[in-house]
Amino acid sequence: MLFLQLLINGLQLGAIYALTAVGFALIFGSTKVFHVAHGAAFTIAGYLFWWSVSVQKWHWAAGLALAVAVVLAFGLAMERLVYRPIQRHEGAFFTVFIAAFGTQIIVQNLVGTVFGRGFETVTVGLSQAVEVAPNLFVAPIAGVALVVALVFFLGLNLFLTRTHVGTGLRALADNPDLVRVYGLEPTRLAQVAFALGSVLVVPAAALTAVTQGINPGLGAHIMLISLAATIVGGIGSLKGAAYGGMLLGLAESLAVWKLDPQWSEAVTFVILFAFIIFRPAGFLGRPHGAK
Amino acid sequence: MWAYLVNLAVLISINAILAVTLNFVLGYAGIFSMAHAVFFGVGAYTAALVAMKLSGGFLLSTAAGMALAGLISLALALPALRVRGEYFVAASLGLQMLAMTVFSEWKVVTGGIGGITNIPPARLPGWTVASPEQYLVLCLVCLALVMLAVATLVRSSFGRSLKAIRDDETAASAFGKNVAVIKTLAVVVSSALAAVAGSLYAFYLSFVNVESFTLDTSVVLMAMVIIGGTATLVGPVVGTVLILLLPAALSYLPGLPQSEIGSIQQMVYGLAMVLLMIFRPGGIWGFRDNPKDDR
Repeated sequence: MLFLQLLINGLQLGAIYALTAVGFALIFGSTKVFHVAHGAAFTIAGYLFWWSVSVQKWHWAAGLALAVAVVLAFGLAMERLVYRPIQRHEGAFFTVFIAAFGTQIIVQNLVGTVFGRGFETVTVGLSQAVEVAPNLFVAPIAGVALVVALVFFLGLNLFLTRTHVGTGLRALADNPDLVRVYGLEPTRLAQVAFALGSVLVVPAAALTAVTQGINPGLGAHIMLISLAATIVGGIGSLKGAAYGGMLLGLAESLAVWKLDPQWSEAVTFVILFAFIIFRPAGFLGRPHGAK
Repeated sequence: MWAYLVNLAVLISINAILAVTLNFVLGYAGIFSMAHAVFFGVGAYTAALVAMKLSGGFLLSTAAGMALAGLISLALALPALRVRGEYFVAASLGLQMLAMTVFSEWKVVTGGIGGITNIPPARLPGWTVASPEQYLVLCLVCLALVMLAVATLVRSSFGRSLKAIRDDETAASAFGKNVAVIKTLAVVVSSALAAVAGSLYAFYLSFVNVESFTLDTSVVLMAMVIIGGTATLVGPVVGTVLILLLPAALSYLPGLPQSEIGSIQQMVYGLAMVLLMIFRPGGIWGFRDNPKDDR
């Protein structure tokens, strides 16, 4: 029964990780920006949702809307004010990474100073667990998490394959110079990638706030998960990042079956390392670390 | 006041050793390690255990710490450096998270959250280091030796290979450089030297626990290198001094709540990192112009 319980928890966690990882992979794949401030966007979204629903007693939809608006602005501002000026004169992985990392530090501490450093949870009716079988507790929110993740992925997939802008984004991932030749504007497409990728963290952050609670330090964890899922799934593959996120969520949860909960982060690391050693291209990536 | 200054100077020299060694991989080899605090910690725990269980002196304890840190970094670098730079960032971040769990949960060895206490003073042949002033001398000597080692390595053919790889990996390998081996060696050297700082830290405080070796520590060290100036010998030391003087400077500012000093300090250097990357990627000490800027 414990196994089944952990499996359900794992699916729920995996859905959250998949949403975050896909956002990161979308940005990284199409713009080549190693956006580690993705974890910062997650923290911002989580805290705004908590603040508006639990503190201000707004409707959850209003909380989500606020989070979407602010995170969208954050993602676009990062692209416009930080990454683009750096890429204009250097474009090195190094400089972009440091700037993103600095942002992550600022946001984490700002959030801690403004909202406090404790664990905060949002309580909604859906998070009340029901005993569906002896010793097996399931909250409707687990189903909501899975459905939300699926809906977002289907929507994203439709957008990327059926619309003009979506096709442009995929082209940007393959060859930015060719995109320019076809008269499309890479910077406009980059803005779209940042907008979409950032919005994807909102459902993930809100679900995390409801299911397990948030604290300012969560950004670093989310950063590790996003990086790990992108590598496990294969750099350049959104589907891979989604599977990677799901795999890491399931593993982190199922680890508790045999290990103490403190070791769940170690499980993430072991999986990541196993992939780096045995299958560096990830399970859906292009062959061997192609550049 | 004197005691405060000596203590600050000791901490600055220990952190400067860490910054200089991190700069060796980050600045000269272009490898991003988020796990530098792990090797600092491995050095500290190993030195403490060797000193207590085997009653080893400073040299033996430090050598043991260096060996273990070198081995662990080898295990990290061998697979992670075969592939692209992003993999090493992720792998070292993972190692940092894992190490924090190990430091705080492997209670038999690391003493858990409580850490290891009552570490005996450092003994060198003919000298037992007792007072803080003596520790300052020891730390400064170690800092000088580490800086000398790094400077020598950077000027050697090994250092030139490293810089060549950093600037263009494909070209370097076309010139017959074994990129993976050279990068791995750089990581091992840097980690082993970081363990020296760990050993000094353990003997000086006579106490170690996980709180000194967290992700935050790795991040501060990275900030010291970046703010001071990558790929310069003096830059990391400048960065270390600036960042360690920051809390003291902030506490003189009126109107800041004391409980938020730590947070404000982190925000200041986070902001410094972002702004420097936009306007002056070489860091404060780096006069290096952008080589790619001349188009």
